[in-house]
Amino acid sequence: MKYPVLLFISLSLVFFLAWSSIAWSQAPREEAETTAQHLAVLLNVGRLIVDRNQTLINDPRKGDKGFSPEVFEHEVVNEFIRQTHMDLKHLPSHLPSLAKEVLPLLLQSSREVVADAQLVINQRGIGYKNFIPATFGSQAARKFSNHSHVKIKQTALNPRNLKNTPDAYEETALKRLATQPTSNTSVTDWIDNETTLRALTPIYYSKDCLACHGNPKGILDISGYPREGAQEGDLAGAISIQIPLKSQ
Amino acid sequence: MSVQSITRKLRHRLKESGPHGIVPLLIAFGLFLPGCGLIFDAVELVQPLTRDEMSAICSRGQLRVGISVEPFRPFVFPAVYTDEGVRVTGLDVELIREVADALTTYCGGEKPIVPTLHLTRFRDLFIEMNEGHLDLFVSSVGGNIPGARPVGLWFSIPYFHNGGIGAMIQRPEVAEKVRAQFEKQAGSPDTLAAIQSGLSGLIVAAQRGRTSHLYAEADLKNIRLLLCDSLPAAIEMRAPPIDVVVSTHAILDYVTKHVWPDWRLLTRNDGTPLVLTQESFSIVTVEEHRRLQWFLNNLLYRLEESGRLEHMRRRWLEEDYAPTRRAAMEGLPFEVSKVPEHYDQGQCRFATGR
Repeated sequence: MKYPVLLFISLSLVFFLAWSSIAWSQAPREEAETTAQHLAVLLNVGRLIVDRNQTLINDPRKGDKGFSPEVFEHEVVNEFIRQTHMDLKHLPSHLPSLAKEVLPLLLQSSREVVADAQLVINQRGIGYKNFIPATFGSQAARKFSNHSHVKIKQTALNPRNLKNTPDAYEETALKRLATQPTSNTSVTDWIDNETTLRALTPIYYSKDCLACHGNPKGILDISGYPREGAQEGDLAGAISIQIPLKSQ
Repeated sequence: MSVQSITRKLRHRLKESGPHGIVPLLIAFGLFLPGCGLIFDAVELVQPLTRDEMSAICSRGQLRVGISVEPFRPFVFPAVYTDEGVRVTGLDVELIREVADALTTYCGGEKPIVPTLHLTRFRDLFIEMNEGHLDLFVSSVGGNIPGARPVGLWFSIPYFHNGGIGAMIQRPEVAEKVRAQFEKQAGSPDTLAAIQSGLSGLIVAAQRGRTSHLYAEADLKNIRLLLCDSLPAAIEMRAPPIDVVVSTHAILDYVTKHVWPDWRLLTRNDGTPLVLTQESFSIVTVEEHRRLQWFLNNLLYRLEESGRLEHMRRRWLEEDYAPTRRAAMEGLPFEVSKVPEHYDQGQCRFATGR
């Protein structure tokens, strides 16, 4: 009677220890994945706000456009609430600590990009200023990455800016995304012995994008790059996020 | 209070503050020494404290360059946003790169000399230069037009010649009026006389402070001169309607082709461009910077000799290109100084006292 009880207790202990260690290692992974997802949404929201204000930004008749960093931030916060039900100014307590750390940083970086661009945005007599979702996104991602161990980058299979050229992982993931039907789901993988999260959130061409990226293919667009000949819904690129687990 | 009591108090304070208290006291005392400038002068003779402008640029690692915020396409394009941030580009910007590269070599090549562009209003460039905030400025500035060289500033040998002041119009009647004057001169052309008669009574706009303004003031007596803060301000002017805009011919040639298609260049009767007077552009620095002046002249001579300047001129004036893409590929970042937060191209006002 004594031995079966001892055996049961020992087995329970072993099982408990094994389960808890899995749970411990699983928690930071889930946190990283959730954080990557929110970061991608936030960068996309910033791009969306720039896109929504594009006509105003490109208005040559107006000097001060009123598209200040404060106005931009206000619109981003509201849109983020609409998409995620989360207030960036009062992040919910259940959010992973990493997300609580990096989401305000990305918001701040995005705001700084709009602040830096004020001289360009507020030029009167100049229409197209190249302050578009893509250039905004590149700079916001770079500013953010300079201040965080989490790295964000915009990438595409044939990027106009060579600094956005995909690495080997990104290229494989982009090719995979290009063959799949349109979806908001990210491609996520753990690489380097499960120590680094790589997440790619696809960006698709909308109607507005086609003025520069659509047809006729090869003809230069307003910024001097050859049009890609893309169709609405084609894969434009992705937001690539890299979170190393050890550094957290 | 007697001198004795002051000395006593001072001794007491020194005792309290210890040996460290003496230093600030001596400095404070030294400041009131009459004739202390003589001591500095004597020290300078033994050990020069100031360096020449070239050594200063080398040790700073930066070349402080002024550039006009008013766009003078294709010399300076309006600032655009790129993946790398805000950038400015144009022929003048490419020339600044050349100067900075040559300075890097001059300074030993260990660390690159970074051009720091100070974007400011055209009229402020001269002030900034005189106040010592800039090493030089490059903003399609003509040095051979009478009145264009402010005292204390030095102009390099030209990096852009065969330019000159041109004119653009909207209404064909204006061109016909000028051409009629040329027709009267069959056999002995006199551009100035034809222009003076042809533009008589018309509203002519020029940018305030630029060489076209000086030309119009001096040579076009019978016009109604409208002075504008920038070229775009002149284009936007609706009341009164502008008959003619005078400015650098190369700039007008570019903007009539690429920016303001409603405007056209004023030409001679045979269709060749009408240049009102010749003008060449120079790099500007202060009169005292003799070493920098020789450096710039020698560099410009070498760039001309090697065909590099010609290549740059053709690249910006003749090739078909998108300035935004060039800004993204090769543009330079800049610091905004003395430019209002919301840059405005300004207004136009009739010249007074004519």
